[in-house]
Amino acid sequence: MSTSFTIARVLPQILGLNGSSASAEILGSSLRHLGYDVSMVDIHSPQDAVSDVDIVCVGSGSTSSINPGASAILGLVQLFHAWSARGAIWCAQGTGWDLLGASLTTPDGRVIPGAGVFPSEADLRAPRFSGEVAGVDYQGRDSAGYVNAIGHTTLLDPSQVLVNLSARAGEFPSEEGIVSPGLFATKIGGPALALNPHWSNDLVTAALATRGLTPEFGEYHDRVESLAQRARAKIVARLAQGSRK
Amino acid sequence: MGQFLAFALAQCARFATRLRGGGSAFPGLVLLRMRPDILGATLSNLAHGVIFVSGSNGKSTTTTMVASVLRAHGMRVFTNPAGGNLPQGLASALVAQASLRGRLRADIAVLEVDEAYGAQIAALVKPDWVVLTNVQVDQLNRFGEPENVYRMLHDLSAGASHGVVLNAGDPNLAMMGAKLSQSGQLVHTIDVSEQARLSASHGLVPAALFFDQEEDPGANINHSAPRALLRTMEGSAATIELSGNSLTLELPAPGLHYGVDATLALAMADVMVDDGLQADRVATAMAGGAPVFGRGEVITYRGRQIALTMMKNLPSLQVNLDALEGPLERVWIAVDEGTPDPSWIYDADISVLDHVDVLSGSKALQWALFLETRGIPYGDIVEDTAEALRHVVGLAASTAQPVHAIVNYEQMMSIRRLAGYKELEGAS
Repeated sequence: MSTSFTIARVLPQILGLNGSSASAEILGSSLRHLGYDVSMVDIHSPQDAVSDVDIVCVGSGSTSSINPGASAILGLVQLFHAWSARGAIWCAQGTGWDLLGASLTTPDGRVIPGAGVFPSEADLRAPRFSGEVAGVDYQGRDSAGYVNAIGHTTLLDPSQVLVNLSARAGEFPSEEGIVSPGLFATKIGGPALALNPHWSNDLVTAALATRGLTPEFGEYHDRVESLAQRARAKIVARLAQGSRK
Repeated sequence: MGQFLAFALAQCARFATRLRGGGSAFPGLVLLRMRPDILGATLSNLAHGVIFVSGSNGKSTTTTMVASVLRAHGMRVFTNPAGGNLPQGLASALVAQASLRGRLRADIAVLEVDEAYGAQIAALVKPDWVVLTNVQVDQLNRFGEPENVYRMLHDLSAGASHGVVLNAGDPNLAMMGAKLSQSGQLVHTIDVSEQARLSASHGLVPAALFFDQEEDPGANINHSAPRALLRTMEGSAATIELSGNSLTLELPAPGLHYGVDATLALAMADVMVDDGLQADRVATAMAGGAPVFGRGEVITYRGRQIALTMMKNLPSLQVNLDALEGPLERVWIAVDEGTPDPSWIYDADISVLDHVDVLSGSKALQWALFLETRGIPYGDIVEDTAEALRHVVGLAASTAQPVHAIVNYEQMMSIRRLAGYKELEGAS
């Protein structure tokens, strides 16, 4: 019998804007190509709770999703901490990350307590940034994507930066995202895991490690990385072209 | 500068751009540079006023349909070509249709207006009526989030001097209609029956906006009395109830979204025609309209038919895919910088595609990554559009199906030009 992994998508109807639900799909595809069974579970309320989850994916939303997202997450906090205690791997994006941090300051200045999964604080009062970005991640790997986000996020431990952005078409912090054992979050879309399969591989590797397994990435993963490498190179070229104008 | 001289110079610019091949927004830019007030000066005194048509999707089709139905009822209509919905596009349409003295042979203007430019255009020429199609997820790289589009459309509508006609089948617009009514604006609605909604597997694809409950006046809107109702939609045949009559119409192309656009157009036209719409004239006007380019349009290149399916954004891709009947023999996907952030493709249900033959444009690699995730096989990645066009028409075919080209707006314009189709004047 093959090993089965469970990926939870948290509040996909509220936090699923602009392809941000894709992380679960991309991780699922990667696991399947490694020969594992994958089941997807959508978590809308505590009634949907499943006790054993390998990877938790939380997408992004718009500003009007903050209040319903925060309310819904309030009812899920205990479940989240139980998942974390059992070793679940977290993958969050944009507003989803903001809501799972320590706190979130809304565009109109209200402070909402976060779920406390990620050691970070979001402040959405800064202007929106929308554009392509590129840089080098915490392991020195070329990384790129598209950011469409307002505000900025402060890491409580500055050593946990995911990627240092060297190229971006406008004002956006050069330090982006968070990575630490079991935690991964970013404001980068594109989607981030599609354009940066090395991050997807990291998450899959971490999920397998909790079962004592080691991935043997194969032809699919090589092909995807080759495509992504070329797609990232195009982003870098566009940013270079933009900076020359 | 005098109006005559301004139009004369803009006409020269138009002549020059047409010599270069195709139309452009350049003559409009020239005209606006010399006479920034020209839209108001020429359009403000039309006998039946000015209608703006705006929203995330369906603007071009609805504009075309309103204009066609009004013309069928004897009105002389000034309108802008599809895509020419910025100030320079409107001004280019003026250059093309007005006399050198700036006179228009028109009773009414029906203008497609870009959501983000609505306020700017309204400052130049105040609309009597605003028609709103929907609030959907569209161009987030430009608008940030759909909430911003909602606010822009609300502000545009609040400024209409006579009233608003909107699609209350879109929950966001239903809420907006209630708010506008509460603030004293005259609001006519259209609605879409459950039966019609079910004709498309993904329905109307509205943006998911999460307004606070206390802010939600949706319960106050009068859904029981829409001005028009889309009762059924089967293929390209729509049954629309209007002023107590049931009209069965053959539309230029299939799809629920066409039915909604037609219903909205009829409601607007019904407001404008004093004696009521004539069923036979409506039928002729609707049947006679060619699809707006890129929305089901079929072009021919080297003897091979190519059906252009637009993917301007997630809803337009989804409703256009929903209207396709598989299996599709030859599929070409072309997308470029006109779609700066193609992340939204991961939200689409593309199950009608069991393969893709050719991927082209500068974002082809991102589409390839998407297809890898979905497990859909794909053929060649040919970045250059001209090369891809030659390649795709050379592919063997065993059926009479056209090549299905799923394209963003910019690639659609390139493909049309390469195939020898003229760019529409004022399109930008």
